Amino acid sequence: MRKGLTEFSIKHPWTTIMITVAITAFFAAQFPNMKIDTDPENMLPENEPNRVFDMQTKEDFDLSDFIAVGVVAEDGAFKPDLLNRIYRITGEIEEIEGVIVDDILAPSTVDDIRQGSGGAIVIRTLMEDEIETQQEADYILGRIKANPVLRGKLASDDGKAIAVFVPIESKDMSHRIAAEITEITKKYGGNEKYHIAGLPVAEDSFGSEMFSQMAYSAPAAMLIIFLLMILFFRNMKIVLAPMVVAIMSVIWSMGLLILTGNTVHIMSSMIPIFLIPISVLNSIHIISEFHDHYKKYKHKDATIRHSINELFVPMLFTSLTTVAGFLSLALTPIPPVQVFGIFVAFGIIMSWLLSLTLNPAIAMLISNKTLHNFGQTDEEHGPLSKLMHGFRNISGRRNLSIIGAVLFVVVVSAVGLSMIEVNDNPVKWFKKSHPIRQADEAMNNHLAGTYMNYLVFAGEEDDMLKSPEVLNYMEAMQNELVKDEIVGATTGLSDIVKKVRYELFGGDPADGVIPDNQDEVAQMLFLFEMSGGNPDDLFKFVTSDYTKGNLWVQLTNGDNQKVSAVVDRATNFMQDNPPPVGINVHWAGLPYINIAWQDKMVTGLRKSLLGSYIVVFFMMVFLFRSVRWGLISMLPLTITIMAIYAFIGYIGKPYDMPVAVLSSLTLGLSIDFAIHYIQRIRTIYRRNHDFNEAFHEIFEGSGRAIIRNVLVIAIGFVPMLFSTLVPYITVGAFFLAIMVVSGLVTMLLLPALSKTFKRTLFVAKKKAKAEVVAVQTQNA
Amino acid sequence: MKSAITKLILALVAMSIVTGAAVAQDATEIMKKSHMAYYYAADDGVADVTMTIIDKKGKERLREFTMLRLDEVDGGNQMYYTYFKKPSDVSRLTFMVHKNPDGNDARWIYVPSVDLIKPISADDKNSSFVGSDFSYEDVSGRHWTLDNHTLKGDSTIDGKAAYVIESIPKEAYKAFARKVSFIDKETFMPLREEYFNKKDKLVKIFTADKIDVIDGITTVTLRSMQDVKKNRKTTVDFSRITYNRGITADMFSERYLKNPPRQYIK
Repeated sequence: MRKGLTEFSIKHPWTTIMITVAITAFFAAQFPNMKIDTDPENMLPENEPNRVFDMQTKEDFDLSDFIAVGVVAEDGAFKPDLLNRIYRITGEIEEIEGVIVDDILAPSTVDDIRQGSGGAIVIRTLMEDEIETQQEADYILGRIKANPVLRGKLASDDGKAIAVFVPIESKDMSHRIAAEITEITKKYGGNEKYHIAGLPVAEDSFGSEMFSQMAYSAPAAMLIIFLLMILFFRNMKIVLAPMVVAIMSVIWSMGLLILTGNTVHIMSSMIPIFLIPISVLNSIHIISEFHDHYKKYKHKDATIRHSINELFVPMLFTSLTTVAGFLSLALTPIPPVQVFGIFVAFGIIMSWLLSLTLNPAIAMLISNKTLHNFGQTDEEHGPLSKLMHGFRNISGRRNLSIIGAVLFVVVVSAVGLSMIEVNDNPVKWFKKSHPIRQADEAMNNHLAGTYMNYLVFAGEEDDMLKSPEVLNYMEAMQNELVKDEIVGATTGLSDIVKKVRYELFGGDPADGVIPDNQDEVAQMLFLFEMSGGNPDDLFKFVTSDYTKGNLWVQLTNGDNQKVSAVVDRATNFMQDNPPPVGINVHWAGLPYINIAWQDKMVTGLRKSLLGSYIVVFFMMVFLFRSVRWGLISMLPLTITIMAIYAFIGYIGKPYDMPVAVLSSLTLGLSIDFAIHYIQRIRTIYRRNHDFNEAFHEIFEGSGRAIIRNVLVIAIGFVPMLFSTLVPYITVGAFFLAIMVVSGLVTMLLLPALSKTFKRTLFVAKKKAKAEVVAVQTQNA
Repeated sequence: MKSAITKLILALVAMSIVTGAAVAQDATEIMKKSHMAYYYAADDGVADVTMTIIDKKGKERLREFTMLRLDEVDGGNQMYYTYFKKPSDVSRLTFMVHKNPDGNDARWIYVPSVDLIKPISADDKNSSFVGSDFSYEDVSGRHWTLDNHTLKGDSTIDGKAAYVIESIPKEAYKAFARKVSFIDKETFMPLREEYFNKKDKLVKIFTADKIDVIDGITTVTLRSMQDVKKNRKTTVDFSRITYNRGITADMFSERYLKNPPRQYIK
């Protein structure tokens, strides 16, 4: 197997190419069946209890996801002209396909409960028609402020902001509908600013921007990697092979993903961007080896055989460790992350296979003339070599200082790690300058919040929500929740009952209380329905059988950490004040769903990271047949993970979904250089059992290969740093950091350790020599 | 020559106006007859009503009440009195309407739990009646003079020959932009009504599901209103219907809101 594949490729290059092209064509043919899924809710399995409850809540109360449209005018939004334009804008929004017209919340659609002539209770549309005078505008603002159901939601108390909530049939329409709303606001807009916010928009827009970023990032990274490789190897034809390998492994794994009926989720859309560099890494080692030895052998097939032979084991293990890192994602309880892990792992194995077959096959087809000058460049005196010689000098002479410095870094990192804060907010996946981020900020500064959570009070019997005890409990919970800085408003059945009672008794605040008997509650609600109140409005807060009540908890911040604090506050409150007998309280809503899957993700990924760390360690012990070397090989990986995550801790970047998932990448990639280093230095050492020779030589061929890898991948990902989407920037920064840190640690610490502990690490000369001889005779 | 053509055109226009008016007259006449038969049967009436509101998930809400009606002027002012029995937590709640087709109605409610009589604003006739799919106007009737009616032809509903009449509000109206009524040619009962919004989408359907003759008066005893868009439906079942009980106008006063006339309400 080890030699067979490559041997076949060397002897039958065309057949090899034809086979791989055919397989590629097969998988590429699956692409038209691609199904895209940008719903972060799918981060939870469909039968996950929190998700099931959320779905049930939406159905019980006929709730929809909504887009929040904010109008901010610093000189005051309550002016006849602006209100009339919002009136017209709302009218046009009603015409948009996919908007649930009856549930739109806007000055021209919401009902207000007020006193009519003769003390009558009137429930009427707040702004029934266009208005003419400033008094009318002021009146509308006054009514909003006087209505607990509308206050802060529809307008800011200072009258500078007005919100229109647009419920939509399905979340995946929000990007399109948001764009249509923008068109409308442009048509009517004046000096005031229009903002479009809300989790569905952020999530759906992220999905659609992500795919366009994908179409730009992956090819851009590819191009830069390609150019850098041409620069390093000065031979376009040879460099083409790794590119083909990378593209093919992407097509194979994406094709299989589609073929197996999986949807392309936010996570899996990142498969290409992960696979391309990982795939290129192997090829660079092969080409480096080929490049460095071609001048010696001057025969393609001999050079290829030599290169593959030298690299087979380290490449196998670097691939296997990366596979282990990604496969561990399959153990997390988050389906899209599982799919991502499995198919990246598959892609890595395929790219390993292709590097061993397609690379040689393509190399065989390159004419000797093209290769004539290949490897002739004066590598020994090139800049890369100079750099490596510098490394050699430092790690050779200052080995103890390096070890000391690394220990210092470890201690500093340990402190940084303790500062990591787990947090996520899909809105913050956009850069600060992005309109969605700005809308989020502007609207949540002025209004009661664009993040809607629901706290469901589920009774075991009909009419339980009419009970004063339950309503008083709900009111107490509201009073507790609003103490939280991010709770902008809470609205529940309690508020409607109190408002009706307040208006019934003629507007004395002392009457705006929850009645003390159930019949009175029922009659207040009946009065609401008799007075023109829309029953559909009522049933957003209570089911028609009065079994379940729904408290709307509006948040000005969607950070998981902050949302969790609100959830904890409710939990603590319930511990101190148990709910009335027969009432169960549970959360629903998108912000809650987000913290639910974040919890699972953090604990799940911690476990899987730890698991694969151990697996990789055993792989290393097995590979090097030595616990000592096994431990040393884990150092670059450990330090890289620590340093990167400590950095995240220090700069205060939240540990979010992308950061969490990238731990598997860090684990899988950071060990690669160590494998190459240890494998090679030991091979060289075995040749003559001369440590100084091995120490000297490791900084030549292998060192150059490693530094080429560092440069190619690190620079290749620079374009991603300019993405508008934060997760893309994060991924780019991680690749860069992994390469630089693990490269540095490998080429500084490992030599320093090799030198310091050469006696214990490079022992049993005779025994080892005997082994090598035995192997050699065997091979011969 | 020119003037001859002008004359001809003028004559044709005049003719079409006259004939159009005649047809319109017919349609309006039918609608008036229907309105009188449906909303102004006899001089007064008492009935027990069971209202079932069925939401899109099939969940039902029940309202039971006794309804008294007195016509002051046929086709004109009317008075309604409603005594709620169920749901039990609103029992003894009463509601009264003085209907005035030429102006605003007056409505009062008595809330027993707080022993308070309150007027209820009546300027929005289109709002829902006790949370059902019937609006206040559907219960007490929209005066035929508010719409322009056109006879569109004939049809058959449940084996009954019916006029098909299209009604368009004279003034822009929120509840509907166009209504198509199927009026029984024999009894003038509305058998079916279809309400269309300004986009000419069907939004509500009324059907007379059961028609009986009580004390010689044709009466729709089971009716329903379906909200097509919201996929909801309300059925109204009339029972123990009696006519010409001799109800007097003083019963429709605030005093009786608190103390229901027990002779009519069981």
